[in-house]
Amino acid sequence: MSDRNPTIGDDDLHAYVDGTLSGERRRDVEDAMERDPGLAARASDYFALNDMFHQRYDRILREPVPPSLRAPEPKRRWPSAANASRFAGLAAALVVGIGIGAFMQNGRLPAPLDTDGGATRTVSADGGAGFARAAAIAHVVYMPTVLRPANADADREADMTRWIAGQLGTERHAPMLTERGFALTGGRMLPGENGTIVEYMYRNADGERLTVCIAPRKTEAATTAFRLYEDGPVKVYYWADGRFSYAVSAGMAPARLLRVSHDVYAQATGTS
Amino acid sequence: MDVREQLYEHVPRLRRYARALVSNRELADDLVQDTLERALSRHTQFKAGTDLRAWLFTIMHNLFVNQVRKASARSAHVSIDDDDFEAADVAVPATQTNPLEVRDLDYALQRLPAGQREVVLLVGLEEMSYTDVAIALDIPIGTVMSRLSRGRERLRALMAGTRQDAKLKVVR
Repeated sequence: MSDRNPTIGDDDLHAYVDGTLSGERRRDVEDAMERDPGLAARASDYFALNDMFHQRYDRILREPVPPSLRAPEPKRRWPSAANASRFAGLAAALVVGIGIGAFMQNGRLPAPLDTDGGATRTVSADGGAGFARAAAIAHVVYMPTVLRPANADADREADMTRWIAGQLGTERHAPMLTERGFALTGGRMLPGENGTIVEYMYRNADGERLTVCIAPRKTEAATTAFRLYEDGPVKVYYWADGRFSYAVSAGMAPARLLRVSHDVYAQATGTS
Repeated sequence: MDVREQLYEHVPRLRRYARALVSNRELADDLVQDTLERALSRHTQFKAGTDLRAWLFTIMHNLFVNQVRKASARSAHVSIDDDDFEAADVAVPATQTNPLEVRDLDYALQRLPAGQREVVLLVGLEEMSYTDVAIALDIPIGTVMSRLSRGRERLRALMAGTRQDAKLKVVR
């Protein structure tokens, strides 16, 4: 404690550093520091400490919050067309959030919206777009409930799809996308309007995620064309085929996603 | 909006504070998770219109103090109190040449008694007023000031390191 200037106490010096002194008192402290280099050095070091706290720990504010510390989903439900509007933009926002972390690591910025792949349709009020939007959200929000065992061989993808479908209790097996570099990582069931929806999650060697959703239809449909739905960086190709609707979602260029979607379509028609 | 939803807006700041407080990433996030769980289970005790952030920091403080108590039962070197701080603890690795370096901050903070660490961080990092710190930690304002003063001075000595060891002996 400095006793060379009896009018300036420890508390004054700290309050000065923390910016809580009145103007007059602040000038007293500044005068005292001019007379007493030791006092000035202490104030300077205290300022430096506060700066260092921010330099060292402010980065944590920008880290993605781990799942265990995030708000639970209000309802673990398939986001239906009826309530999808309140999720609008959520998928984009979440992916941007996740994207920042992922992209910062390899020093690249997310690519701007892709405009070269197929025609983007306006989102109309038909159920198809609602389904696509819900699939985009599911792609971003949901984690698998059944996980591929860590020791599963890469060359036993067919066994894996059978096993995961069995665990989920569905006959709708996951399409095999190994030729496109995507391995099945897990799946989950989601309650939908017309019955249970199966969601399969995939990942490739670069860590890109891809999601396939298969939803039962109320009425049997003739096969429809692929349609593209975009929610920010998330692209979804979706179509109806017989008693099921399909959606393939990923954060990739539509042209690439379309090729994967063709594979999914080919396997679905082959087995249904 | 329900308090239970508002809680999550404070998670990034709680994580920042917890990381500075306990240094280890997993333990820090565990502390945040325990804080959230306790806040959720006691959300009816939160008085609407009061400062939610201060309430969360109080909960985290209580959990942290319990942890420190448990740890100090196992180890003689950990202490919540200011007064049994060993002068030998001020010694830092001799490799250090530059005073006040950020990379040594984790280490230096962990050498502070827990009570001082809390006050120094709540004031310096969280930029809480002295009064809010007194409320959050449930201690008199005089104790806030004395912990702040001792904590900063010890931290300064630790960060300055061996280079100026003689000159920067803790001032009492």
